[in-house]
Amino acid sequence: MIGYVPGTSPLHRAHPYTTLALAGAVLLGAFALTRPLEVWLLVAAAAAFAAAGGVLRSSARTALLLSLPIWALLFVLHGLLGADPRTTVGPLSLSLPGMARALVLGGRITAIVLGFLTALATTSPHRLVEAMTARGVPFGRTFLLASTLTVLPRMRERAAQILEAQQCRGLRLGGSVLARLRALGPLALPLVLGALAEVDEQVLALDARGAASAARRTALDPPPDSRAQRLVRVALLVLVVAAYGWKFWKMRG
Amino acid sequence: MTLRDLVLIRLGVAVNLVIGQIVAALLLPVYLDSVGTILVAALVGPRAAIVAGLLSQVLNAVLSGNFSWLPFAVVQVVIALYAAAAARLGAFRRLATAVPAGVGMGFVAASCSAPISYFLFGGVTAGGVTLVTTVLRALGAPLGVAVASASYSTDLLDKAIACGLVCLVLRSLPRTLAARFPALAR
Repeated sequence: MIGYVPGTSPLHRAHPYTTLALAGAVLLGAFALTRPLEVWLLVAAAAAFAAAGGVLRSSARTALLLSLPIWALLFVLHGLLGADPRTTVGPLSLSLPGMARALVLGGRITAIVLGFLTALATTSPHRLVEAMTARGVPFGRTFLLASTLTVLPRMRERAAQILEAQQCRGLRLGGSVLARLRALGPLALPLVLGALAEVDEQVLALDARGAASAARRTALDPPPDSRAQRLVRVALLVLVVAAYGWKFWKMRG
Repeated sequence: MTLRDLVLIRLGVAVNLVIGQIVAALLLPVYLDSVGTILVAALVGPRAAIVAGLLSQVLNAVLSGNFSWLPFAVVQVVIALYAAAAARLGAFRRLATAVPAGVGMGFVAASCSAPISYFLFGGVTAGGVTLVTTVLRALGAPLGVAVASASYSTDLLDKAIACGLVCLVLRSLPRTLAARFPALAR
């Protein structure tokens, strides 16, 4: 499952910026680490992060489902088709450097997916918007984040309606690539033109709600932040910088 | 950024994410996940298009769960800048100029995405591109060549179609609607 899972874990209660900083540190850290052991320690850290949020089972299952096709492709591309030296495992001839690279790349992707799924599962969108408002983030940014997610289901529904309507009018979706390409216009144009025609109406509605005002807004229920959490965020930043410093120092050496 | 820009960014992001539904129904071998970014660049300029591109990439990762796509956000920035420049030169006025501009955009986008795919993910990004890479690798091409060939072949086609589609949208805009976008008059 992808999305927010209500709960009372420490991560659910944490300031949204702290949870996002943890996921961001996993993302940046994943590209700083280059050895299989280092990367899989990061995967373990991401799993601990999920456990702290009480979402280990659901996040790990989704991360596994999303990572499996990538692992399979990595195994073929690097394990089977990688460079020499090789080793034989049963009927398979595997590339040793290829398998090491596949382990690093697979672990990297797994850690990133697991870290962000956990952040997504433990960060309430409402609390995030409140936190951003309390920090004085301009209305435009919070509007984009919150309202785009609400407009998507409506656009998807409209796309499905256009698809059905055009099929009723005799539009064929099959045939050669060229025929299918020709069908793209009658399907995509009404969707985009319809949405463009509504732009002015939406601008007026936003203007009427005072969205153009530059005044700082008051958050009704801002999530509490603490000195300890601010320290955690700074420590994560230091860790990421240190990881990159270590990486480049090794490269020079 | 004006309220109109914000609404158009939201529209661009929605188009980027929803057009895949139509592409999937038509079983086309492309993504067209930057049509909204190109459209916003042509209508209001690069700044709004960059925001639309970055937000699309983030929301695409959030909605699909595949957060390994996040580093490719830089490709959306490049597409936004290229599209704004192409629009300023009037490339979207005719299909005959929009499609070659799209081929150029595909070249630039692939030049950015191929190194990210190769250096950060070893050529594996769980898309159709990776299947092309695997086939080329199995045929004996070195990994770097396979990744670059797969990226260029898919991006050239994808962006040429995307730019052609944006040209059709802009040409189909009723005059009253087109008049509301000063960038189109240039």
